[in-house]
Amino acid sequence: MQVYLPIAEMSVDALLLLGIGFGVGWLSGLFGVGGGFLLTPLLILIGIPSPVAVGSGANQTLGASVSGLIAQWRRGNVDVRMGTVLIIGGFLGSLAGVQLFAWLRRAGQVDLAVAIFYVVVLGSVGGLMVRESLTAILRRKRARPQRLHEHLWMHGLPFKMRFRKSRLYISVIPPLGIGFAIGVLSAVMGVGGGFMLVPAMIYLLGMPTAVVIGTSLFQVVFVTANVTFLQAIQVGSVDVVLTLLLLAGGVSGAQFGAAMGTKLRGEEMRALLGALVLAVALSLLWDLLRVPESLFVIGPVP
Amino acid sequence: MMRAACLLLLLLLGLPAARAQEAAAVPPSLTAELSVRRVEVTTAFSGAEILVFGATERLIGPEGDEVLVLVIGPETSMMVRQKVNAMGFWINGPSARFNRVPSYWALASTRPLTAMLDRVERADLRLALDQLPLVQLGAQGPTFRNALANLQQEAGLWVDRDRPIEVSGGRLFHARLPLPATVAHGLYQVQVMLVRNRRVVARQELRLDVVRTGTSAFIADVAREQPVLYAIACIIMAGLAGWIGSVVFRRG
Repeated sequence: MQVYLPIAEMSVDALLLLGIGFGVGWLSGLFGVGGGFLLTPLLILIGIPSPVAVGSGANQTLGASVSGLIAQWRRGNVDVRMGTVLIIGGFLGSLAGVQLFAWLRRAGQVDLAVAIFYVVVLGSVGGLMVRESLTAILRRKRARPQRLHEHLWMHGLPFKMRFRKSRLYISVIPPLGIGFAIGVLSAVMGVGGGFMLVPAMIYLLGMPTAVVIGTSLFQVVFVTANVTFLQAIQVGSVDVVLTLLLLAGGVSGAQFGAAMGTKLRGEEMRALLGALVLAVALSLLWDLLRVPESLFVIGPVP
Repeated sequence: MMRAACLLLLLLLGLPAARAQEAAAVPPSLTAELSVRRVEVTTAFSGAEILVFGATERLIGPEGDEVLVLVIGPETSMMVRQKVNAMGFWINGPSARFNRVPSYWALASTRPLTAMLDRVERADLRLALDQLPLVQLGAQGPTFRNALANLQQEAGLWVDRDRPIEVSGGRLFHARLPLPATVAHGLYQVQVMLVRNRRVVARQELRLDVVRTGTSAFIADVAREQPVLYAIACIIMAGLAGWIGSVVFRRG
């Protein structure tokens, strides 16, 4: 069944979009991430123009994260204070990211920039995840005494603040910086950034795992809302029909994925997710390196 | 237009001017019509077809009348970018901007055009893709223009194959021209020309409207004219959809 996307100005098979939404939702439920990093490349792969894929991807991630946030909020797993600091950084970052995106679009390099961002970010995150989880699997027998959290040099920077729920007393500069970086990535890649935010919160900020997921969803919902807003106004590339079709598949898929996720062990799951992230990065890299089918591309005047 | 064509024809046939009064009674040498005057782009739109049909006064064939149909869509501007290899990566290199590009262009004729019309006549009427009056800015050179033509043809937006016009009963003709799902909306000009002795002797112009209607038109209009409202609506709808979905599909 074909459906015409009013902003992308093309018609796509609705069942294909529902299927992609379901598959990505299933994986995101399984691994507990938003899935935007898989969604945007898949949309580009089926021929959706990059700006629309990024804008609508951010919008979809917003919808997909809302239900998770509500669930975590009820359990009291959201550190609102830390979340707010991250969001302030995230708003500034997404503002800068959308400007960068609009500038790249005028320069005609959006496709390249989106692909490079994906290759670099997914490649490094995927590589780290695979390495970390493999070492964890190998060392599983050896239990180590754990400290509350490591004190890094950056925690001692000025403007210290107390984050009660995270049991932290650290400078606001590292969370602001992390929020900013995630905001930029969110705007350029159309992702929520949960897959980067979660490790950053654990390893860089030293937050307890219990509040990490809830707080990252808190940041993701607000930052993707901001990206949706800015992309819709500045680039005009958010296709609400596309978003809703993807969400329809996504929310159902996520529930199945989440049910299955409880049966898998943490390390194996992280290794699998890492391998998946690496595979996406490699396929995008291959697209940049292989000789293109057509040496010319046409597009509307930006 | 029709009347002028009839008049011209009468003069060509050497009839006395006094009898031009009776022109209305004389059957026109060419009549053509579109099956639809309006193509609606809805959310279920997946392409359409322009059906042009009509009849000629004389029998259609190499010895008698011949027909050609030209459809031109609304003009637009386009960028053509060349991919270049930089340090192993394929990136967008030099670009050319084309103005006054017909977003749709299609030609159909009863016989191959070269056999039907003189070269000069073909050039005058711009009856070939390489004769379109495009304005090229930025990178120069014919490669960009050729690339534009190739890619537009691949997308089915420029149709320059010899698409035959089908003839039945000697005088009745019809041509089907495909409109892909990516067509621009706006006013399309359909020109039907009657060729006799390698010259165009009569023509009829028809208009076709391609309009966005229904939900898709509404969404596109709101997104363009009220971006702030649209952005807020997108955020709220995505949020609601996510929330409703989690309630509906919650297990246990």
